[in-house]
Amino acid sequence: MIKNFFEINNVTFAIGGKDKVNDVNITIEQEGDIICILGPSGIGKTTILRTIAGLEKINKGQIILKDKIISSNQIHVEPEKRNIALSFQENSLFPHYTVDKNIHLGLKKNKQSNKNIDSKEVIKILNLKDVLNKYPHQISAGESQRASLARSLISQPDLLLLDEPLSNVDQSFKEDIQVSLKQILKNNKITTIVVTHDSYEAFYLGSKCALILDNEVKQFDDPYNVYHFPNSVQVVNFLNRGILIPARVTGGDSLENEDLGIIKGKFIKHYPTGSNVQLLLQPEDLEHDDDSNLKLEVVDRKFRGTNFIYTLRTASNKLIPVAVHTHHWEQHEVNEKFGIKRPIQLEHIVCF
Amino acid sequence: MSRNFNIWFLSSFLISLIVIIPILTVFSSFFDNTTNYFEILKKTFLFEYTFNSIILLISVLTLTFLIGTGSAYLVSFYEFPLSNFFKWALILSFAVPPYIYAYSLTAFFENYGTAFTILKNLFGEANYNKHIPKFDGMLGSILSLSFSLFGYVYILTRASFLYQSQNLIDLGKNLGFSNFETFYSVILPSARPAIVAGLSLVAMETLAEFGAVDFFSINTLTTGIYNSWIAFDDLAFANQLSFFLLMFIFALFFLENLSRKKAKYHFNSRGGFKQKKKLKLSKNKSFFAFLFCFIIFFLSFLFPLSQMLYWTIKFPENLTDLNVSNLFLNTLYLVILSSSILIIFSLISNYGNRVSKNKILNFLSTLSISGYAIPGVILAIAFITFIVWMDENIIQSIGFLSIKKIFIGSILGLVIVYFIRFYSLAFNGIKSGYEKINIYVDESAYLLGYSKRKTFMNIHVPFLRNSLLFVSILVSLEIIRELPIALILRPFNFETFATTAYISASEDLLEAAAVPSLFLIIIAAIFIMISSKYILRDTND
Repeated sequence: MIKNFFEINNVTFAIGGKDKVNDVNITIEQEGDIICILGPSGIGKTTILRTIAGLEKINKGQIILKDKIISSNQIHVEPEKRNIALSFQENSLFPHYTVDKNIHLGLKKNKQSNKNIDSKEVIKILNLKDVLNKYPHQISAGESQRASLARSLISQPDLLLLDEPLSNVDQSFKEDIQVSLKQILKNNKITTIVVTHDSYEAFYLGSKCALILDNEVKQFDDPYNVYHFPNSVQVVNFLNRGILIPARVTGGDSLENEDLGIIKGKFIKHYPTGSNVQLLLQPEDLEHDDDSNLKLEVVDRKFRGTNFIYTLRTASNKLIPVAVHTHHWEQHEVNEKFGIKRPIQLEHIVCF
Repeated sequence: MSRNFNIWFLSSFLISLIVIIPILTVFSSFFDNTTNYFEILKKTFLFEYTFNSIILLISVLTLTFLIGTGSAYLVSFYEFPLSNFFKWALILSFAVPPYIYAYSLTAFFENYGTAFTILKNLFGEANYNKHIPKFDGMLGSILSLSFSLFGYVYILTRASFLYQSQNLIDLGKNLGFSNFETFYSVILPSARPAIVAGLSLVAMETLAEFGAVDFFSINTLTTGIYNSWIAFDDLAFANQLSFFLLMFIFALFFLENLSRKKAKYHFNSRGGFKQKKKLKLSKNKSFFAFLFCFIIFFLSFLFPLSQMLYWTIKFPENLTDLNVSNLFLNTLYLVILSSSILIIFSLISNYGNRVSKNKILNFLSTLSISGYAIPGVILAIAFITFIVWMDENIIQSIGFLSIKKIFIGSILGLVIVYFIRFYSLAFNGIKSGYEKINIYVDESAYLLGYSKRKTFMNIHVPFLRNSLLFVSILVSLEIIRELPIALILRPFNFETFATTAYISASEDLLEAAAVPSLFLIIIAAIFIMISSKYILRDTND
């Protein structure tokens, strides 16, 4: 019985002798789980994948797959001997083979796999049928990225690593692929680590997300918690889905802000009454109500399809985001006054 | 990391080491004692050697720049009669080595030469000799080298012109530039690295040239090296002159790098590239463009070819006297053996560099490819110096038999020095093929379960087959034309077309030199025609 399917224990990931991410601990308990690694560009996300694949070595900690150490200070299983597939962000197709041959090279790797991925289905889902007989230089970046993804999937690895798998794929097509990809991975129990800088992609695909900021894993949690209960100011800033405003704790379920007044809700963490905190306000926290006497000036309005995101200016010159459904009965233009429903009641109160 | 010290690293390391031995020998020999000859020479001939080399260099660079850039500009930007033919016909000049050009020039313009015969047949007996210009000495050397070497500038500049985006030219027009201003301010500066690269090759070949300057009795540093070894048996002085010449060549490289500073000339080929449209020239301009290209094609290829052909027909006994099949087999034997070794070792070395990513290896490789900058004469002499030193200081001192005969005056020695001389050509040719294979391709192969050997055999070699073919042809072409190394190191009674032509010419039997020269030109031209589609690649593939 395997303890954990995959483990990264206290590993420092480095490239070219330079430490990129320190003391990483990530565990995938069950086979078939998908986790996502999120972080800004250049932080070392790809280095993590390359190291797990065996393309880079480690000097500290250990990486364990199916109870077997594959990387440590002393052990380094060569990439060709790990059953791990990595789908690169850059074009990695063999230039002298057609797309079809490239994809089917994956089949050769793991003939004894217990997984049963149908290559035809993968080709269909990834919409590669029309380019099968073409050579890599004859297809677009998005197509070559999908072909590379297909090759990795068909190789039926124990662990699949995807580096920004859909970064070159057209937006119109992206969501469909995300859905199908998740389906294939789940149906075939392919354990996957996805690296992305797109938080929505990470939240959709991953059952857990690891946020890498300032050379360390800042938070490793399920997507809901990462979004609603960020554990540090850095995570809030990276996700960029809210702002921090100053407030003073006035009781066990309330606090006060000089512009918004009393705000009620359930504290995630205990703060003594009277302490000064930074309160996280996310766009969906405040409600629109033009009958309210709390009016703020609209300085910007972004159309986001389902929602408008208003940016409102408070009396103390703070900018607060508020989401309003596009079909909401009354919308406002820039410079108009926008009412905020009172009393303000939040689902949960996150402070720092 | 220990993973990088594998068999590939070791092979690459050894290959690079073999190639840099002669370079190190030249450097180490600088401080050796020489005979008094050095003192005499320092006071008298050294100045002449250097002066002649500089005059030759400047003149050849100027001429090849004008001919190479001018013809490349015309065939790249304009449509005129036969412009597509000239596009590849101009590279046929490579089939004529400078020494054969020199024979043709002399044969045509000498007293009672071909020009005299033509005039006599046209206008009857008269003393035409005093009216026929003489292209010998320095002028003859300059012309022979220029018409034989301008192809380097032509090919590289043309390629650079081809990859210039129409956007760049449109931008020039948008800024209100005339055609000339666009050429002068936009096209020419952005082709500068290519022009300089072409001129650097011309410079190296000019400084290294032996056959033509020796034929015209022009004393340059290279002939000085050869003579000090052959005539005065002073290896140490030959090495010291070689050191001097090497410094000269490195100074050129340094100046070129310095002048380039940090300017960037190249555009990324992906994105923003717009194919150029060739302009149709008006009738008059079109005629002049045609005439310019035709004159260059005629002078660089048709003229020496027809001169050699004329003599072969006029003196058919030279053809029957010569054991052509033997020369052909010898040449072919050398070409196949040397180019196979070069290709195999350069391929291994390239792959070793790729998988090891080792800085020492990288440095060694960079150093080892400078072999191409070193004249054949120097390499041959440095090789002999090294073998003699090894033989006397190591081999014989431990009681083994002399190894001199194994390496000097043998096919083995000849092939080793060819290897050193043309290693850079093969290494860089394969490297440019390798640069098209993304490193992620290798990593994907490993992740698909391929070992390093399997990745090399199943992924790289099939992908590189076109590059390998092209490099083999290039190397073969160089070996067919090569003269000084073959002259110095060939086994007794082993002749090639090049050495036979040289020997006949040096004995003042120019007519007899015509037959091997003609065969050499024809074989080289066939090689060029086969490889022309690679040399003149029109797309960015």
